[in-house]
Amino acid sequence: MPFELAEPRSLREAIASLDAKDPSVRPISGGTALMLMMKAGVLRPSRLVSLGKLGLAGIRTGPGGELRVGAMTSLRTIEKSEIVRKGWPVIARTLRTLANVRVRNVATVGGHLAHADPHMDLPPVLSALGARVTIAGAAGERSIPVEELGTGYLETSIRLDELITLLEVPPLGGRSAAYLKCTTRSADDWPAVGVAVSLDFQGDSIREASVVIGAATDKPTRLAAVERILVGRKLDENLLDEAATQELSVEGDLHGSAAYKKQLIRVYLRRAIHEARAQSR
Amino acid sequence: MARSLQLSLTVNGEAVELSCAGYKTLLEVLREDLGLTGTKHGCELGECGACAVLIDGTPQLSCLVLAAECEGRAVETVEGLSRGAELHPLQAAFADLGAAQCGYCTPGILMTAKALLDNERMPDRERIKEAVSGNLCRCTGYQQIFEAIEEAARRLEHESHR
Repeated sequence: MPFELAEPRSLREAIASLDAKDPSVRPISGGTALMLMMKAGVLRPSRLVSLGKLGLAGIRTGPGGELRVGAMTSLRTIEKSEIVRKGWPVIARTLRTLANVRVRNVATVGGHLAHADPHMDLPPVLSALGARVTIAGAAGERSIPVEELGTGYLETSIRLDELITLLEVPPLGGRSAAYLKCTTRSADDWPAVGVAVSLDFQGDSIREASVVIGAATDKPTRLAAVERILVGRKLDENLLDEAATQELSVEGDLHGSAAYKKQLIRVYLRRAIHEARAQSR
Repeated sequence: MARSLQLSLTVNGEAVELSCAGYKTLLEVLREDLGLTGTKHGCELGECGACAVLIDGTPQLSCLVLAAECEGRAVETVEGLSRGAELHPLQAAFADLGAAQCGYCTPGILMTAKALLDNERMPDRERIKEAVSGNLCRCTGYQQIFEAIEEAARRLEHESHR
């Protein structure tokens, strides 16, 4: 399958190389997901726009203490970053079992978020933490919550002529966060379920709760009913079980049936809350 | 019409210029255009590590890298590991300690381990496990591989003191 490879040197040039109407023109960052789609015949590009020379890699903290990660930063660089390990340990821990080291050496955070496979680990974690992405297009930049990126299976709200340029994660502050996943084969396999929680404990009760699951639905999904049960009262795990899968359209796949995943959500939700609570002490 | 790609890169320290189909992966170019068949086709899904090579010193999966994106970069494969007729200490240790059985995963693991030992002189067992995690081996049970990498680190350390 022949295609053209464009290697723009600036963001403006990169955006100009994209095509608002032609889905066969695609950006390529690390390429790990894109190559798999090309091998599977799902994607037959006419032009790939390589983002490697745009200078979009780097990690720093912003004026408000927020984490600022350039979209072309590799997952391995984020995992090894002292800034991330100290300030957002849940992200570094999540990355340790995300695919394998050789994939993490290449895959970028921008590509990870733009790919929008619902089995990916970072979207639920970043959504629970209230992270945002900056998206650049011909008309300028816009910033949206990571939670609003995914619109369906492999589908996002990013237009064809737009690119993610920056990820911003607010400081954890008093919150403790945990991400647990169940992989039914090896530890670095795609998860059957991933549960991300960010909880602000005040003694035994919870002041603020953010709970997002991945891998069980067509996009990362916030468990609003669970959050309501968690906030402002003592934990009742029986209430939690019922709320965990309420209003949720769980989809089975080769990692587990819908019924199995529903049970996993109940179990892993409890475990994630316990882990976050243990960290808060 | 397959567009032909002109590519200049460094492979095992030698400058290489070649013309190949633009859609090829680095793995395909290494094996089919350069005849370097030491690097193996494995899962083709980025899961097994059999195709691992070093690109600018970092272990990457050559089955997931477009050759076109390797312009101007330095690629190292298992063929470049030995020093003439003499095996690299990693290769020698793998042979001595039974770390290769069927051998299919060995090139990928050797290159991953080389990147580790290039950056850390005496990594501990945990670091070694982390570095080669996901490099799947169905024969050895991994113990001999960990031991061989530790032994190679010792031999390299010994060499550096000679």
